[in-house]
Amino acid sequence: MEFEEIYLKYSPKIYRVCMGYINDHEQARDLMQETFISVWQNLSTFKNQSHISTWIFRIATNKCLRALEVAKKMPKTELPVNLPAPHEESQHEKLAILYKCIATLEEIDRIIISLVLEDLPQAEIAAIVGLSNGNTRVRIYRIKEKLAFKLKAHGQFE
Amino acid sequence: MDNLNSLKQLWQTADTESLPGAGEMLRMVKSFRNKKLAKKFTIIGMAFLLAVVLGVGVYFAHPKMLTSYLGAGLMIAACGVLLFTNVRSLKRFYKLDDCSNKEFIAFLEQTRLNQIYFYKNTQVVGLTLASAGLLFYVYELVYNNLFTLILTYGLTLIYVAILVFVVRPRIFKREARKLSDTMQRLKTLSKQIDEL
Repeated sequence: MEFEEIYLKYSPKIYRVCMGYINDHEQARDLMQETFISVWQNLSTFKNQSHISTWIFRIATNKCLRALEVAKKMPKTELPVNLPAPHEESQHEKLAILYKCIATLEEIDRIIISLVLEDLPQAEIAAIVGLSNGNTRVRIYRIKEKLAFKLKAHGQFE
Repeated sequence: MDNLNSLKQLWQTADTESLPGAGEMLRMVKSFRNKKLAKKFTIIGMAFLLAVVLGVGVYFAHPKMLTSYLGAGLMIAACGVLLFTNVRSLKRFYKLDDCSNKEFIAFLEQTRLNQIYFYKNTQVVGLTLASAGLLFYVYELVYNNLFTLILTYGLTLIYVAILVFVVRPRIFKREARKLSDTMQRLKTLSKQIDEL
């Protein structure tokens, strides 16, 4: 697979995962670019020991977790439970709320839920994050519950 | 969550149209990579060049005193230490990306230990070799004039003292702060991964 082909196929997916992690367009774009810099550098040494998507997502999640400057900017507090009455939001606003709710999760949880929303199979998520399949399944269940609670508190999906 | 599919649909609506195209990305990748590695390659290049200049200089200048050979040898050895450390860290830089997050956390811990080892050992050895080398090397050039001898050694010792007692602790303090942040983050991530 050529770099251009890989980039066209995976850059939107990687961007969305980075956006889920950091909730900032510019920084998500930077993290996505850094991911593809690594992909470009290491493509010749990629030995097909895992799926190329697992490999690329693993690089991307490492970039996210490694970014100390990013960590400092992430919110430390939970979203308030009693929020103003919801109004009919646009798709764009709904997406912003989703990012906001994800941003209040723990780092690893943000990565996992972003991969779930990207529709990756559980086994692949486990391989990317470095957890066992069983642990990943339990973890995903818990994160979904947490996220549902946060979204409902924000007037979403009631 | 019954609405997971709706969330997935919503997730897909993120605007990815503004992302750079493949050609633009390829250009960015090349320039970014060069920029990021430029500093390391400059240090490696400079250390190599200095070692060659010192070696060639000694070979052609035929110094009469043993101290000059000893000084040049020690400084070349210091360049060797610098070269070895930077080439090794360059290899680690390339190895970083393709590992699981647990392996990555272990890698961070190893990096932290390596950095501490570097500041406490490698850097001390490098600085000692370079400083001793410099002190030996200049002896032949100044030994027959007491004033020049005192002035040269005085300035060299002040330079070495500033390097050892001011610059080095400052850099160490800055790096230690970064390390402490990294460690804090590492602990949080480890806790999150093990928490089940």
